Amino acid sequence: MALSGMRGLSVFISDVRNCQNKEVERVRVDKELGNIRTRFKNEKGLTPYEKKKYVWKMLYIYMLGYDVDFGHMEAVSLISAPKYPEKQVGYIVTSCLLNENHDFLRLVINAVRNDIIGRNETFQCLGLTMIAISYSETFRLESMPTSSFTEKKVGNIGGREFSESLAPDVQKLLISSSCRPLVRKKAALCLLRLYRKNPDVVNVDGWSDRMTQLLDERDMGVLTAVMSLLVALVSNNYDAYWSCLPKCVKILERLARNQDIPQEYTYYGIPSPWLQVKTMRALQYFPTIEDPNTRRSLFEVLQRILMGTDVVKNVNKNNASHAVLFEALALVMHLDAEKEMMSQCVALLGKFIAVREPNIRYLGLENMTRMLMVTDVHDIIKRHQAQIITSLKDPDISIRRRALDLLYGMCDVTNAKDIVEELLQYLSTADFAMREELALKAAILAEKFAPDLSWYVDVILQLIDKAGDFVSDDIWFRVVQFVTNNEDLQPYAAVKAREYLDKPALHETMVKVSAYILGEYSHLLTRRPGCSPKEIFSIVHEKLPTVSSTTVPILLSTYAKILMHTQPPDQELQDHIWAIFNKYESCIDVEIQQRASALIKKAEDTEVDTAEQSAIKSRAALQQSSNALVVTDQPPSNGSLPVGQLSLVKMPSISSNADANSADQGLTEANGALSRVDPQPPTPSPDLLGDLLGPLAIEAPPNAALPSEQSSISGLEYDPNSVDALALAPLDDLTNSVQPIGNIAERFHALCLKDSGVLYEDPYIQIGVKAEWRMHHGRLVLFLGNKSTSPLLSVQALILPPSHLKIELSLVPDTIPPRAQVQIPLEVVNLRPSRDVSVLDFSYKFGSTMVNAKLRLPAVLSKFLQPISVSSEEFFPQWRSLSGPPLKLQEVIRGVKPLSLLEMSNLFNSYRLMVSPGLDPNPNNLVASTTFYSESTQAMLCLIRVETDPSDRTQLRMTVASGDPTLTLELKEFIKEQLVNIPMAVPALSSIPQQPQSTFPVGLTDPGAMLSGLL
Amino acid sequence: MIRAVMVMNTQGKPRLSKFYDFMPTEKQQDLIRRVFGVLCSRAENLSNFIEVNSIFGPVLLEEIGDEAETLIVGTAHYLLQDTRLVYKHYATLYFVFVFDNSENELAMLDLIQVFVETLDKCFKNVCELDIVFNFNKMHTVLDEIILGGQVLETSSTEVMKAVEEITKLEKASNSINLVPKSMSGWQGR
Repeated sequence: MALSGMRGLSVFISDVRNCQNKEVERVRVDKELGNIRTRFKNEKGLTPYEKKKYVWKMLYIYMLGYDVDFGHMEAVSLISAPKYPEKQVGYIVTSCLLNENHDFLRLVINAVRNDIIGRNETFQCLGLTMIAISYSETFRLESMPTSSFTEKKVGNIGGREFSESLAPDVQKLLISSSCRPLVRKKAALCLLRLYRKNPDVVNVDGWSDRMTQLLDERDMGVLTAVMSLLVALVSNNYDAYWSCLPKCVKILERLARNQDIPQEYTYYGIPSPWLQVKTMRALQYFPTIEDPNTRRSLFEVLQRILMGTDVVKNVNKNNASHAVLFEALALVMHLDAEKEMMSQCVALLGKFIAVREPNIRYLGLENMTRMLMVTDVHDIIKRHQAQIITSLKDPDISIRRRALDLLYGMCDVTNAKDIVEELLQYLSTADFAMREELALKAAILAEKFAPDLSWYVDVILQLIDKAGDFVSDDIWFRVVQFVTNNEDLQPYAAVKAREYLDKPALHETMVKVSAYILGEYSHLLTRRPGCSPKEIFSIVHEKLPTVSSTTVPILLSTYAKILMHTQPPDQELQDHIWAIFNKYESCIDVEIQQRASALIKKAEDTEVDTAEQSAIKSRAALQQSSNALVVTDQPPSNGSLPVGQLSLVKMPSISSNADANSADQGLTEANGALSRVDPQPPTPSPDLLGDLLGPLAIEAPPNAALPSEQSSISGLEYDPNSVDALALAPLDDLTNSVQPIGNIAERFHALCLKDSGVLYEDPYIQIGVKAEWRMHHGRLVLFLGNKSTSPLLSVQALILPPSHLKIELSLVPDTIPPRAQVQIPLEVVNLRPSRDVSVLDFSYKFGSTMVNAKLRLPAVLSKFLQPISVSSEEFFPQWRSLSGPPLKLQEVIRGVKPLSLLEMSNLFNSYRLMVSPGLDPNPNNLVASTTFYSESTQAMLCLIRVETDPSDRTQLRMTVASGDPTLTLELKEFIKEQLVNIPMAVPALSSIPQQPQSTFPVGLTDPGAMLSGLL
Repeated sequence: MIRAVMVMNTQGKPRLSKFYDFMPTEKQQDLIRRVFGVLCSRAENLSNFIEVNSIFGPVLLEEIGDEAETLIVGTAHYLLQDTRLVYKHYATLYFVFVFDNSENELAMLDLIQVFVETLDKCFKNVCELDIVFNFNKMHTVLDEIILGGQVLETSSTEVMKAVEEITKLEKASNSINLVPKSMSGWQGR
């Protein structure tokens, strides 16, 4: 066994290993840290060797999970040491420990730089490694929300400036012909790291040629690193690197076909699988391959890879060959190959999911799921359904999860029954970790693809039965809603509920849902054996001792409903139930107590006045259409009745936040006043059970602030329309419950200035935008990323373009699978000048929640501008030739955001209006120029002059001139919008104040513009 | 990008950990523990993949912050990075690579193999003890294979060449202190 070469270190390590427990270890570690600290204090006496030894000890301690909060200076100082070993340890430890102490990074920049530009190649390597590693740290720290301002500043110094000053040196190393491959490959990855931070370090014009040359590299190590760099470059901007594409295909041919590669780069007989994989990754960033010859060559190689790979005995060889194979599959999918090749791929995957090798089974399933998303091979994949279902029973949970995802993705109307029933069967044996997801997926599929509703009810009841713990309340609320809204379904649901109640050891959720359904609909079964009111009551009542206090109120309501539905009245049953109510009226649980007393009251009322009951019935019908009737139609003399009715509805929500007294007080007032007492709309919390309970809450119309109560008394009252409306009311509330993350308006404004970023985000989805603009054309890509573990359904994106933009939106998939991302390209053509904004009307469903967002797209006027610098010789003749309105417009603008001249220049420049400093002789004025592109105007020069008032920065005079009157007007208004101070309190109105001016009629006729005005 | 490399023994003791993303110490330790929690419950002969989004979570832009947005949104791969994990079990050690979906899973698995084969060449039949007492060498080897989260070298022959060169440099300016014979007593622990 080789040893570290440092005795003290070895002794320390073995001491730590000898520690019997964590306590002893901590003591030993603390002792060592104390020792190191003391030695460091008297630094002069330390030899470089000792320093190195202590620093390694610190790193070891750090790895054990202890904080090492000192000695960083010593570690850092080692970097400047002249000898290799000290320098090396300095670098390694700095890059490990500096995570949290990035201030030190500034101290070492110069030392690192000296090593990189120095002649010593081993030192160069150390420096490059250091930058590549620690770079990520500065990078992260800069943007950490918790870091204070000063920290941010430090990070920035270490960040942008660092990269700008180092990049040229690193680039030199990469392209130098005299450098060893060892240095050059490190330089390539180092540059990649710097580029990720600051893309400006790579000048596109110069580098596309360089990259093409670098791809001719013969050294495989350097080529692999260069390929990683290329992936990073093309992922950001493939357009500049088209010339690299044929080279990539050549490299693939060289590796996969000709096997032309040095021996040390074949791995288990496979020519560098990493390089093959990276090359195919790079190719996936090009949208397509135009050149037919290149395309043909590539497909030949791909075909060879697809067909020439077999599963062999050696695990390592298998992994390597399949790494290449799966990447080839991804590339084939990306290139949208002919259907024949696609089916070949599916057939291959079908083979994979049945092999012995678990890794390949796993990836086979995963890639099938991917394939569902990109291509139309649904039917071919369905042929493998049986095998996929078998994978649900795989010993490996990773594989089972993949199988579940795939089954979920491939489910449609034709196979829903089979798949859902498989999932149900699997539920009883599935891992606990998977049950919740499984239950949710089964529920979603059942609802989405149910061939008939009774099947849906069956599925949900089975779900509750088998995995009650994992069935959220939402799911059983849904089934209740379906039953309530479908009269045909009610007897069937009641029969089923009755059957389940016969089973022993029922899950409490099952008791809830069965009791609820039987309370409402058991009277539809009375003729069946075992379904008389008495029998129903007793079987429900049997469960009472077993349930928790949240379920008791549901059962009590069920009793009341059974009683009400019993015709003719059964005195014995009534006495029995009353006795129960009386018992629970003194229950310790407030909720139950209130429910019981409410029911008693109601029952009393019912008995006292049966004539009143029918009157109420008709009144209830009226009440459903207008809430005003409640107030006018019920004289206070009728007092007792509404009180009783109200209490039943109101108890559940009031009891949770107000005491019974205040509720009672409220109840004695008029009904209209009460509606204000109700503190919250029904939410799908356990409290909702109460609201769901009577037909009460369900039957009230949604606009009635006060849930109608009468219908519950009458019991028989039933209005399917109103049921429909209210049953869905809680869901409507959910719509508002999904809140966007971040400020949509701010995100939009940020995107007006840059070309990529986040447009919208909420807990389930993130919409990113990346745009490219060229003259009057634009290409936007929307990235719809599902953040959740459930799919987003009914995804819809509509573009409401203003009349001046032609926007083509490609197909938006209906579903975004869990944690997947979909790209939606948009082609934009600017027809004529206008500052109106197009709106993206985006909606999706998450579970049962409908989310809708109207988002302004950052295809604003400034995107069609190209800054152009104009000399005074060019400017003034132009300026004079555009003599006055309508080509040259002037306006005094007040209420401007107070900006210094410099800030204003920056603002102009950021909107692609190029400020020419010094062109205007008056230092308080500012002159800018730009070219505007649209189909009608073609390229058109625009000139802008702003005269500011140094004594009052809130006002200025602006003159805009161009060869097109509309353009002049629109550009002037556009700039004005950017300059006018918009109070932050009403960001929603940001574009309204400008709206009613010159383009008002346009705004009205244009749906997109109108909407954007509202946003 | 590779986000982390972890080596731990079958008792969950970390033998090497390297995070290529910023991560506070406590968080690192916590992740190692949780990864181990999943690994130790897995039988042999299963796949080398585990789902770890519940442990690491996908990297969302919010976490990275505004600065990164512009760079990252551009690529589909970086907007929502799925965290993936592959591991390999050798005798008493787990080798774990954590990475995002811009890397190919099987290629990462191959890279673990390269790492281990290189260590094997380095230590002539590597065992856990070699790694314990030479964790500095592990760092050296790893730094020649992965640089800043990117694959640097895939040929173990080349990696060995680089490592040997470094070793030579270390020795050249540093006389090795010999290890006392009594060491053998606790080597076997």
